[in-house]
Amino acid sequence: MSGIRKTFGPVVALDGVDFTVANREIHGLLGGNGAGKTTLMNVLYGLYAPDAGTVEVDGSPVTITSPKDAITAGIGMVHQNFLQVDVFTVTENIVLGTDSTKLVAPDGSTQTPAQRIAELSSRFGLTVDPGARVADLPVGVRQRVEILKALYRGAKVLVLDEPTTNLTPQEVDDLFSSMRAIVDDGMSVVLITHKIRETMEVCDRMTVMRDGRWIATVDKADTTADDLAATMIGEIAGGDAEAAALAQTAQVSLGEEELGEASLDTSSEAEPEGAAADTVTPTPARVTVRGLTVAGKGGKPLVDDVTLSLRPGEILGIAGVAGNGQGELAEALTGTRSATGSLSVDGAELVGRPTAAWLGSGVVYVPEDRQRDGILPGAGITENLVLGSHRTRAKAGMINWRAARTEAVAAIKEFSVKTPSAATPCGQLSGGNIQRVILARAFAHNPKLLLLHNPTRGLDLRSTQFVYDRVRRAASQGCVVIVISEDLDEVLALSDRVTVAYSGRLVGEFARGEANPYDLGRLMTGVGA
Amino acid sequence: MSEFLTLTITAMVPFLFVAQGTMLSGRAGIFNVAQEGLMLLGAAVGYVVSLKAGGNVVGLVAAALAGALVGFILSWATTSLRLDQFVVGLALFFLAGGTASLLYRVVIGNDEPPRIAPLPDLVFGQDALVFVAVALSLFLWWWLYRTDAGMRLRSVGENPKAADSLGINVTRTRLWAGTVGAALMAVGGAYLPMVFSGVYADGIVAGRGWLAIALAFFGGWRPQFILAGSAFFAAMEVLAQRAQVSGIGVPHQFVSMLPYVATLVVMVFAFRWALVPQFLGKNYDRESRIVG
Amino acid sequence: MSSDLQEAPTGTVDDVAVAPPLAQRAKSMAYAAIPYVIAVLAAFVVVGVLIAVLGHDPAKAFRAVLTNSFRNETGMVQTVHKWAPLTLLSLAFAIPLGAGRFNIGGEGQMILGSVGAAAVGITMSDLPMVVLLPLVIVVGTLAGAVWAGISAWLMESFHVNEILSTVLLNFVSFEVLDYVASVVWSDPGAGGAVTLPIGDGAVLPGIGRPPMHTGVLLVLLVSVVAAVMAKRSVAGFELRAVGLNERASQLHGIRTGRVAVTSMIVAGGLAGLAGAIEVSGVHQRTLEGIQSNFLLLGIIIGLIARGSLTAVPFVAFGIAVLEVGAGSMQRVSGAPVEIVLILEGLILLFLLMSDVATERLQRARAGRSARRASATATPGAPA
Repeated sequence: MSGIRKTFGPVVALDGVDFTVANREIHGLLGGNGAGKTTLMNVLYGLYAPDAGTVEVDGSPVTITSPKDAITAGIGMVHQNFLQVDVFTVTENIVLGTDSTKLVAPDGSTQTPAQRIAELSSRFGLTVDPGARVADLPVGVRQRVEILKALYRGAKVLVLDEPTTNLTPQEVDDLFSSMRAIVDDGMSVVLITHKIRETMEVCDRMTVMRDGRWIATVDKADTTADDLAATMIGEIAGGDAEAAALAQTAQVSLGEEELGEASLDTSSEAEPEGAAADTVTPTPARVTVRGLTVAGKGGKPLVDDVTLSLRPGEILGIAGVAGNGQGELAEALTGTRSATGSLSVDGAELVGRPTAAWLGSGVVYVPEDRQRDGILPGAGITENLVLGSHRTRAKAGMINWRAARTEAVAAIKEFSVKTPSAATPCGQLSGGNIQRVILARAFAHNPKLLLLHNPTRGLDLRSTQFVYDRVRRAASQGCVVIVISEDLDEVLALSDRVTVAYSGRLVGEFARGEANPYDLGRLMTGVGA
Repeated sequence: MSEFLTLTITAMVPFLFVAQGTMLSGRAGIFNVAQEGLMLLGAAVGYVVSLKAGGNVVGLVAAALAGALVGFILSWATTSLRLDQFVVGLALFFLAGGTASLLYRVVIGNDEPPRIAPLPDLVFGQDALVFVAVALSLFLWWWLYRTDAGMRLRSVGENPKAADSLGINVTRTRLWAGTVGAALMAVGGAYLPMVFSGVYADGIVAGRGWLAIALAFFGGWRPQFILAGSAFFAAMEVLAQRAQVSGIGVPHQFVSMLPYVATLVVMVFAFRWALVPQFLGKNYDRESRIVG
Repeated sequence: MSSDLQEAPTGTVDDVAVAPPLAQRAKSMAYAAIPYVIAVLAAFVVVGVLIAVLGHDPAKAFRAVLTNSFRNETGMVQTVHKWAPLTLLSLAFAIPLGAGRFNIGGEGQMILGSVGAAAVGITMSDLPMVVLLPLVIVVGTLAGAVWAGISAWLMESFHVNEILSTVLLNFVSFEVLDYVASVVWSDPGAGGAVTLPIGDGAVLPGIGRPPMHTGVLLVLLVSVVAAVMAKRSVAGFELRAVGLNERASQLHGIRTGRVAVTSMIVAGGLAGLAGAIEVSGVHQRTLEGIQSNFLLLGIIIGLIARGSLTAVPFVAFGIAVLEVGAGSMQRVSGAPVEIVLILEGLILLFLLMSDVATERLQRARAGRSARRASATATPGAPA
């Protein structure tokens, strides 16, 4: 691929990118969030039409305007969000879109789809149950289905987009050995990731991207993890202090720092007062949770008997692999999903009361899916900031929009939201700016319990640092903060206390500094419980 | 009793065409709500063309083409232009209904309308379209669940992004599913003047288009269950007509309500089954950065 | 995650404005007007061709359609008498639309309103006007609200699609009206399904000559209240929020189910009010066909107004003019009245399509200027 350029409206997502994958190699495509890795591969796969640039396969130029062209050219892609039809079986998902009557086996004889799938899964160690409905399968198996789907179509180049995100270490090992088997069979693999350790473990070569640009392509033998980290982050404009803060965040979120150290290393500017207080005198609990349970469909509860006691100013981190009931737990803890048990803030019982009452008691939720749960995309920033407090601020059922607009302008300045005006629809803002709007609204509620779920997912370093600063500042003012995150490093960097969500339960508990990432990792995979 | 059965089988035909058309569009993700208008259009075109061009077959073909045109506009506006399916569907409902009314007025005027010849019986006192409707239902079941193309169509209604990523052309699939679906609906409408009344009237459809949507939900958007469910809808209709004529001690207005009230009651259960295509009524934008 | 947008280089923290500058707002208002102009012109052109093909004179037809309302007082009164129920029926469609719900049951709710109003007006005809008239109006409104409440209940409790339930209840309401008008309070002298007249105290007083019933003023009041509530009130905000993002609204303390149900019930009340006004102001009884084609027109108006409650009364007036002019058009030019329904439907369809056109135009412009900006920033970048 050379000179690839792609814009979304005024945003330049890719700017003249060159990228080459050799035969029989695993090529790492590295970059931070928003570097353009996925966008580049979506162009290769025909999902996005590039504004400029050319693609060559085996030395001859190809025109790829749709996934069909990409498949014909021998390109297969496993997306981060699996593109599967939930109600279809494994076989149906793999066969979908192909002609099931004209399959030719390597020896020239005709094959049935079932034979081809069985052959591929044994050759590459991708075990699946062909008759199972994919909606019922765990993430690791669904990923195998995706890889089989690409191989079934005769992919020569297989693109994997952040494939290890929700896998257990055992599943990651299996995946890597399958990748090796695929490459040994004469194909190529592109591994999109932001985890340097992974590329060093499995890749032959890697390309680093930043801000939609190609930065470097290196052989594994010629580089070190530290060099790669430096290349990924690049030089940072601005004062030394800011650069240092950003670099630290970068280290933490890249997972390159020795993890034990990272957990001990508190940010220079915001030493939480709660951390000092808890060693001296035990403060009475502000938030008490007892036996909080969310019933599930098949008898197994989604959130199982969660009990917590949190002091003012305390930051509790909940780590865990996605899909262990975090979403349900977040909603149960913030009164946005019905649950049984008890949760009280400053002695006031909230379970069973409407969401508005929870908000009124200072329970504020910063949801994981910002577009879906956090904002009214078609409404202006002012209206989005009013959402949730619209009843309390109204007089005789009428909202004073003039006052709301003035407040909105102040909040936009305070939270450094980049926007042309306070009337700009929230849906037009970038992810980082949407999160700033959501935080501005959250802090306007004067929260007593602030719950953040994956608060920095998809944000650039600056916005990530901004979120961390705000969270620490809220805690220093006595707010109880719960951070639920799949990013273990984030949990370790922020929390006074760490626990792990596993299968709807909270397992293990560590004070700041005691948390050992390996113990946490065992709990997260259900080994240590 | 056998007369009741015969009448019910006849009454099933329009329901089957319209509900299977709704199902076909819906399984590709196009939620057509213009059935009532499409049936009116089909009835008017079918009547007028049969009368002027001489022959029910020509009338049925013309009705199908008119319906296909409306279906194509709906599919095009909701795929290429990504307009809201319900809004466009309602707009086409008016336009199709208005066109039907206008066509009739222009050709017939205010005179006493001549009757067209009814469809001839084939066997067992049933006309050919009865067999076509049942065969169509069975064919659709086989095609949707036993062929590659049918699987592709279903995937477009369940997860168009996944379908797209496998090289299935979502827009083209929706275009023709919406077009063929609407053509079937118009044929269902054309059946009415050819079998029941012999003439067109503005009230000829009497809510059957809306009931057919209910039937699609009732049948879980599956052709074989729609075939079974259409018997229930048809029986309700025949029951109401017969009770109205013979009188059963209840004011006839209450008997006439029966199909609608019964459908409402049935819907309470049908929606509990929740066998609905995941992307029914939702448009697909490949470059949308919000993951659906 | 990694597919997230980069920070867009639009505006800086220092120059944040409450709203876009005036020039920009005027420009965007002009952009908003373009689709309307295109749609109306295109619809008239297509219908003009159609009229010509049918062998009539389009100019003559259009002149008749557009001027009939303004030629004399009778035309004006006819127009506002049409305007009143049209406005109410389109509010009844547009209010639930704000919450993302489709109320296609306006005519059923209106019929029940007319039945309720007539029932009170007939059975309590001896009451004095100060008691009876408000009672007629209130009972009609409540009857419509209850009828819509059935659909709202089915929608909330059983997830029955509201389009279906409201439409099916329309067909039930026809039978209810038929029963009331030809069995319960049938007027034996009238021939057909018509009830007895309501008492004198139940009739809305008229003003001027020819008399305009005072229901028109009531509708004027209702539409002003509706517009203000939509813009400024908590209820209006919650309605809009639910329509924009139901999940986010729920997570921020809005009881979305209650908002949706309330919007349906309010809508039913307004349609019921329209029924009561038709009984009390126009017919002095209820009769088969009282609902006219107000449901269809109400939906067209609501969609042309894009759900804006402020715009509804104005669009409704335009449609009322066309409707009143339709008969005169047929008399003068010979073009059939059905032409007008086609015209209205085409305005809506073209409006939807020209929306897309203007949006694409704007996007193309934004893209061009962005490309130009970045091309100057990085001269080496491929164009």
